[in-house]
Amino acid sequence: MKVMLSLILTAILTENFILCKFLGICPFLGVSKKLNTAVGMSGAVIFVMALATAVTYPINKFLLVKHNMEYLQTIVFILVIAALVQFVEIVLKKFMPPLYNSLGIYLPLITTNCAVLGVVMLNISKELNFALSMVSSIGAGLGFMLAMVMFAGVRQKLEGCDIPKFMQGLPITLVAASLVSVSFLGFTGVVDGIFS
Amino acid sequence: MAEKRSMGKEFTKGFISENPVLRLVLGTCPTLAVTTSVVNAIGMGIAATIVLIGSNIVISALRKIIPSKVRIPAFVVVIASFVTIVQMLVKAFVPVLDESLGVYLPLIVVNCIILGRAEAFASKNPVLVSAVDGLGMGLGFTTALLCMSSIREIIGAGTFLAGTQSLLALFGENVLGGFDGFTLISGNGALKPMVILILAPGGFFVFGMLMACVNKLAEKKGKPKAELKGCSSCPMAATCSLECKNDIKEGNV
Amino acid sequence: MKTFKEFAVPTLILFLICAVAATLLALTNDVTAPKIQELASQTELAARKKVLADAEEFVQQDRITLDGKEYECFKGVKGDQTSGYVFTTVVKGYGGDIKVMTGVDAQGRVSGVEILEISETAGLGMNAKKPDFLNQFIGKTFEIFVSKDKPGENSVDALTGATISSRAVTSAVNNALRLYEAATNQVQLLNGQGGEQ
Repeated sequence: MKVMLSLILTAILTENFILCKFLGICPFLGVSKKLNTAVGMSGAVIFVMALATAVTYPINKFLLVKHNMEYLQTIVFILVIAALVQFVEIVLKKFMPPLYNSLGIYLPLITTNCAVLGVVMLNISKELNFALSMVSSIGAGLGFMLAMVMFAGVRQKLEGCDIPKFMQGLPITLVAASLVSVSFLGFTGVVDGIFS
Repeated sequence: MAEKRSMGKEFTKGFISENPVLRLVLGTCPTLAVTTSVVNAIGMGIAATIVLIGSNIVISALRKIIPSKVRIPAFVVVIASFVTIVQMLVKAFVPVLDESLGVYLPLIVVNCIILGRAEAFASKNPVLVSAVDGLGMGLGFTTALLCMSSIREIIGAGTFLAGTQSLLALFGENVLGGFDGFTLISGNGALKPMVILILAPGGFFVFGMLMACVNKLAEKKGKPKAELKGCSSCPMAATCSLECKNDIKEGNV
Repeated sequence: MKTFKEFAVPTLILFLICAVAATLLALTNDVTAPKIQELASQTELAARKKVLADAEEFVQQDRITLDGKEYECFKGVKGDQTSGYVFTTVVKGYGGDIKVMTGVDAQGRVSGVEILEISETAGLGMNAKKPDFLNQFIGKTFEIFVSKDKPGENSVDALTGATISSRAVTSAVNNALRLYEAATNQVQLLNGQGGEQ
C-alpha cells in the first residue's frame, strides 16, 4: 500500500509527465484553452493509459519476453494502442453516446500521443509488476489531468492580458507553461520526505 | 506532384520556411526533453533524421501498393521498424547515447514530424524527392534542437559540447585529440551557470523565447506566425473523426 | 465477392508489411544482440576493475539478500588472497533509479565508487558522476553521512543544488557496505560450520 501511494504521488507530482518529463506536450499546448476540453482530454488520456497498460503488460510478459522478442516492443505496442483506441471509439460511439460525446472525440488524438506509449515503456523499463504498472499508469494520467486543468486556468487568465505582439500566441503560452513547471519543481523530495 | 520544384528547394525548405519545430510546431516533446545538452540534441537529431529518410524512402516506394484504408497502420509499422533498428544500433555502438536519451529514443515512433512527412509528402511523391525531403526535414529538426540546446547548455550548465567523447565512442577512444567540450562558466567564481535553464521550466522558457524570435522574423518577412492549431499538430488529424474536425472549426479546441 | 476483395487485400498487404518488418528486425537483432551483451559485460568488468583496482580476477558469489532484495556480489581475488568485494546497488534518485557499483576492500573500506546508470538533472545531479564527488567516498567505512556545509568525520560534501542525488548515491554506498558485512559474515559462518564437521 505504501509503495502504491508513493508511486502514485511520484507520478503526479515529482515525475509529472507533462511538466517534468515533457511527454504529451502537443495536447498540453493544443487542447488546454478551455477547462471543459482540458478535462475531457485528460479523462480520455487516463482511460487509454490504464487500458493500454492492462493490455500491453500481458502481451509483453507472456508473448514477447517469453519468446525473447523484446525487440518487437515498440512496433507491437504502438499497433496495439492504435487498434485499442479505434476499438474503444467504435464501442463508445455505438453503446455509450453520452460518454462518447464527452470523452470519445478526444480518443483519435491520443493514438500517437507520446504520453501513452511513454508510460507503457517506462513501466517496462522500471520492471514493475502488473498492479504497480496499473497504479503508475493511472498516476501518470492523473498527473496529466492536474497539469492540464491547472494550465487551462492559467490560460484563461492570460486571455484578458495585454501581451506584446511578438509574444502573442504560442510564445506566451510556453512562458506560462514554464512558470507552471517551476511550481512543480517545489515538489522535489516531498514524496520521499513523506514516506521515508 | 502538381508543381515541379527543384531538389534544392525540397532540401532547404526544412531549414527555414517549413522548419518542422520552429514553423510547423511539430515534435515539441523531444525538442523540450533532450535539449539539455548539445551532444544529446545532436544524437537525437541524427537518430530522427535516419528514421525520417528511411521511412520516407520505404513509404514512397510502397505508396502505390499500400491501400489507403490501411495506410496509417502501414506507415506506423514502417516507422516503428526503423526506430527499433536505430535503437538497436545505438545500443550496440553508442551505449552512452542510449542511456542519455532513454525512453525518448523509442518514442521517435510517435514523433509527429515523421508520420506527418509520411502522410503529407512521402505517400504522394517519388522516392528520390521523398528521401531529399526526409533529409531536409531531419536536418531542420536537428538545427532547431541545436539552437535550443546551445542556449540551454551554455547558460544553464556553463559548458558547450560537453560529453563529445561519448558520442564519438563509435570511432574509438580519444578521437579529435580527446576533445570533450568547452567549459565556459566553471562555476567556481562569482559567475554561476543558470541551472534552471536545463531544468524542465527552462525548456519551456527557451522554446517560448525562440518562438517569439522566429515569429518576429516571420512578421518582418510578411509570413504568418507559427501557431499550434489543435489537431493540425497531430499526425492523426487526417484520419481523425469528423467531430474532432468540427470541433476545431468551432474553435472549441 | 467485391466486398471480400475490398476487405481481404488491405489486410493481406498490411500483414505482409508486418511480416517483412518483423523479419528485418529479427535479423538486426541477431546481429546487434551479441554486440550489446558483449559491450554490457565489458563495461561491467571495466567498472569492477576501476572500483577495486587491487584485484586481478573477479569471482561471482552467491546472491545476498538485504531488506528483502537480492544483490549480486563479486569477490575480487589477487593471487590466492581476497582483495575485496564489489556490489551493485540501486537507489531512487531525483530523476529515477541510480545504479551504483561500490568496491569494498578487505578491511571494509570503500575502495572506489562508480555510477552505472543515472538519469539525474544535467548540470546538477549528473555531477554525481564526476570523480570530485565520487572520490570522497574512498577510504570511508559504514556509515557515511552527507554534509551540506561543515564536513564531519565520516561524511561527504553534498553536490551543490543536488542534495537528493548526493543522499541517494551515499545511501547506495552505505547499502554496499552493509552487503559487505553480510557477505563477510556469511563466509565466517560457512567457515565455522566447516570447522564443526
